[in-house]
Amino acid sequence: MSEPLDARQEGKRAKIGPIDGDPVSTHPDLDKLSPYQRGLREALLREFKARKVKKFVEKQVKYINGNRQVAEEIKILFDEHGQPPANAPMEDIIAERRHLEHQIKWFEAMLLELQTRLLRVREIEALALDVLEHSPEA
Amino acid sequence: MAAPLFLLAPPRSYTSLMNAMLGQHPQAFGLPELCLFNVEILGQMWIRSSDEMGSDAKTRHGLLRAVAEIYAGEQTMHSVRMAEHWCAARQNHSVASVYQELVEKIDPLVAVEKSPAYTVDVKRMRAIYRAFPDARFLHLTRHPVGQCKSVMSLYDGTFALFVNSIEFQADRAVVEPQYAWHDFNINILNFLDSVPPDQHMRVRGEDMMSDPPEYLGRICRWLGLRHDADAIEQMMHPERSPFACFGPLDALFGNDPNFLSGPTFRPHKVKMPPLDKPVPWREDGAGLKPEVVALARELGY
Repeated sequence: MSEPLDARQEGKRAKIGPIDGDPVSTHPDLDKLSPYQRGLREALLREFKARKVKKFVEKQVKYINGNRQVAEEIKILFDEHGQPPANAPMEDIIAERRHLEHQIKWFEAMLLELQTRLLRVREIEALALDVLEHSPEA
Repeated sequence: MAAPLFLLAPPRSYTSLMNAMLGQHPQAFGLPELCLFNVEILGQMWIRSSDEMGSDAKTRHGLLRAVAEIYAGEQTMHSVRMAEHWCAARQNHSVASVYQELVEKIDPLVAVEKSPAYTVDVKRMRAIYRAFPDARFLHLTRHPVGQCKSVMSLYDGTFALFVNSIEFQADRAVVEPQYAWHDFNINILNFLDSVPPDQHMRVRGEDMMSDPPEYLGRICRWLGLRHDADAIEQMMHPERSPFACFGPLDALFGNDPNFLSGPTFRPHKVKMPPLDKPVPWREDGAGLKPEVVALARELGY
């Protein structure tokens, strides 16, 4: 059986970080910092966020360009009526079939995700309506 | 109820690998990062904790995946939805009682968990000890240079920034992960002073990487678990854990993304960098702080 919780004393080794308090919260204890240091910290956070957004946009642009490129490449598979030409090579048709199957899988995953979100929103909506219905002002 | 084992270490200290390895022991159950003791009441996990650093939804993924796996035997979008309802039904319960319920459900297997966020604050570790007075604690250490380099390589050092591991210079502030390495290890040491010696053990992650059978055997003996060749062999396959991969779309994480994309273990000798040279993440040629060097030496580096 263990000793009671208060039987042993916690250590008192000192920390060296410049910011106290519960760090993973909206309220880190910034009292030890001068206004100038608080400004520097803000600037660091802003710079970090800007870098993150820049990376995200770069990735998205690459993705959009990739899609456009694919669209350009498969254009030759279809005539002006959207039908494949009679002499389209078999390899191109198979590649196009695979491409479409891949896209369908993605759309199915997206659909599932949206259905889940819709369910959650419906629950919240139902609860909110319920609260309104039973509120004294109603 | 089998007393759980908690791995205590700052992030990027081989915790994901060790957790999954120990969790593959035939008498254990390796959990993903539950992060339950980050809060007091379960519902608080659904309250946004920081406006400064983006979404914290990922902290719930481990819990949702664990509940899905334990109660439904699978991790799918449907079972994750069930897990959300399971949590909703317990939103006003203390995280201690929720954790006890999970541990009871997997009993007689020993629950093994690591959430590096517990080491951010002694209060969190104290809450674990209050909930499980017989729990075992494994303090896992990593060389400060290796750990800090690893922190800085993951999403530009977002974790260090998240926990305010910042150094102020005359005209700018820079992310300096060694503050977090030092202070989180200090938190662990301070906390463990209040725990009876037979309930905690310290292992250098680097030693584990180079000679896993030896160190896994030692840990098993300390825990009172089987330590025969078969048990050791099973622990050499962390990739077989149901949590050693990405989860369904609505609970993808629950662990370090690098581990999730490559959980296979290969024993290797880790090179230990010197403690008195400039560190690679600093552009100004600065090295480790004297307090960091002193603590690293105390931990055997």
